[in-house]
Amino acid sequence: MKLSSYERAMLDGEQGEARRIAIAGLVQLGDAFGAEDMVEIGYAHIHAGMALYLHDVELMEELAAIGAKMAVPASANIANADMANWRQTGAPETLVRLQQRAEVAHQKLGSACSFTCTPYWAGHWPTWNMHMTSIESTVTVFCNSVLGARSNRDGFFAVYAGITGRYPRFGYHLDVNRRGTHRVRVETPLETVSDYSALGFHVGRLVGDGVPVFEGFPHRPGLDELDALGATLATAGGVALFIVPGITPPFADLGQAFAGPAPHDAIVARRTDLEAIYDQFTTGDGGFDLVHVGCPHASFEEMKIYARLLDGKQVRDGVELWVTTSRQVRQMAADAGIVRTIERAGGKVISDTCPMSCHFARTTSPDPALGVEPPRLRAIVVDSAKQAKYVRDMIGCDTLLTSTERAIETALGGAFRPRFGDQR
Amino acid sequence: MSAVRTIRGRGIVAGRAAGPALVAKEPISFLGDVDIRTGTVVGDLPSVRGQSLAGKVLVFPVSIGSAGAWRFLYQLYQHGTHPVALVCRELPDPSVVQGAILAKIPIVCAPEEDVLSTIEPGAEVEVDGSGLVRVGPPSGLAEQNTHRGCS
Repeated sequence: MKLSSYERAMLDGEQGEARRIAIAGLVQLGDAFGAEDMVEIGYAHIHAGMALYLHDVELMEELAAIGAKMAVPASANIANADMANWRQTGAPETLVRLQQRAEVAHQKLGSACSFTCTPYWAGHWPTWNMHMTSIESTVTVFCNSVLGARSNRDGFFAVYAGITGRYPRFGYHLDVNRRGTHRVRVETPLETVSDYSALGFHVGRLVGDGVPVFEGFPHRPGLDELDALGATLATAGGVALFIVPGITPPFADLGQAFAGPAPHDAIVARRTDLEAIYDQFTTGDGGFDLVHVGCPHASFEEMKIYARLLDGKQVRDGVELWVTTSRQVRQMAADAGIVRTIERAGGKVISDTCPMSCHFARTTSPDPALGVEPPRLRAIVVDSAKQAKYVRDMIGCDTLLTSTERAIETALGGAFRPRFGDQR
Repeated sequence: MSAVRTIRGRGIVAGRAAGPALVAKEPISFLGDVDIRTGTVVGDLPSVRGQSLAGKVLVFPVSIGSAGAWRFLYQLYQHGTHPVALVCRELPDPSVVQGAILAKIPIVCAPEEDVLSTIEPGAEVEVDGSGLVRVGPPSGLAEQNTHRGCS
């Protein structure tokens, strides 16, 4: 691939070992995917370093030790433990101490210690046409589809992109791949954010790694709704970009979204499709150990909703309620008195991680010295189909999927409240 | 003994490695289909289920699944349970390529012949990530490493 003199100098080691390793990896990646050259990126959402995986925090430490620095604004992805308030999650201290080493590595690398899957709620907000990279597919799909930035679904090489400020020009960095492949008509009311989560899962499964173009929303979707929709499109399928004409830059209408006439045939999403998703992720005997909201990590607006639902009430004895969000939103919520309201009701506000990111020792292989035991959970009540899928795959326990409002009612009342009255 | 044959393909990840062939007829997801502790295939791939990838040259049609595939290839490497090289019909997704670069696993894709049927399971295969796959006669090593069972 064609390299600039600056990129060539990095490859020749003139800018240090870290940049040499990073650009060499990106060149191999670019060659594999037929990239003609590199793009300059403006933002990177990068690997946290995960304490539950073997020699994974060390990956970040090793880069920091050879002098790697982020060349562009960078945020750290979700991690395997709440590094500040870990005692409330039941994590062993050994695991937390290892996870905290990742924070030290990121301080050296110059990346923001956000440790979240929603860095945009924490202030990382790339703009239209900005090339970027992300290790978290929820971030990729939000930044592509809501903000109009240009990102692939990436892996570890998001770190290399951050170190060099470069990424090979392929995939969603090219206009030709940023156009609709499937037309989706929404013919169901969407009454709660979790309905967008269910819709995304349904459509993601049908379109694979295509680019769905949505029409027929009952109202202009808000930020939390778009976030929920994207997260499950990216989870159930390989979606990196969805288009809502009039919202997704720069697509004003269906014709622009498809770069030509829109296909006549559309995937139609009906209420029965949403019900099927809620049903699929609601299994077991109805018993549960944990109620979780905040997947993807909650926005400040969502924190306000939780606080309103919990204000003056009390989580049922024997039920655990987890609210997960980023450190930054947690701080804003604390300043607004919201954290106190949630905690006074018996809920736990947890940052840096979430159930599927801290409880999945069943499918990982941490160092035995950490003393991590897979949790014995019967079921987790969730309001996100993304969390539901990964809880099932990685923790291996049942889930009960419902709306945010009813998940919190479940925590208060102690009995599962389904999204639809006739479900289970 | 038959002579060594050379099959040309597209070099994706540089490096050289050799081992007995493990030939999967079905698409594979590195996130979910393989137990990282043992390298055993636990997913729904009838052609190789219960067999270990460790030390093998994995021949397969196409990778599927997640943007997290890199992590699992890297974890296999950290556990010493990784395949030593990959030969695949279609270009694997970027995450697999990233994991292979991290784990120093050479990849050749788009081979000039249908390797799923022409490479015998257990055949000794050497992969040169510049785009060459050399196939020798079966060494018999492959079968010794199978049926470790699923966890």
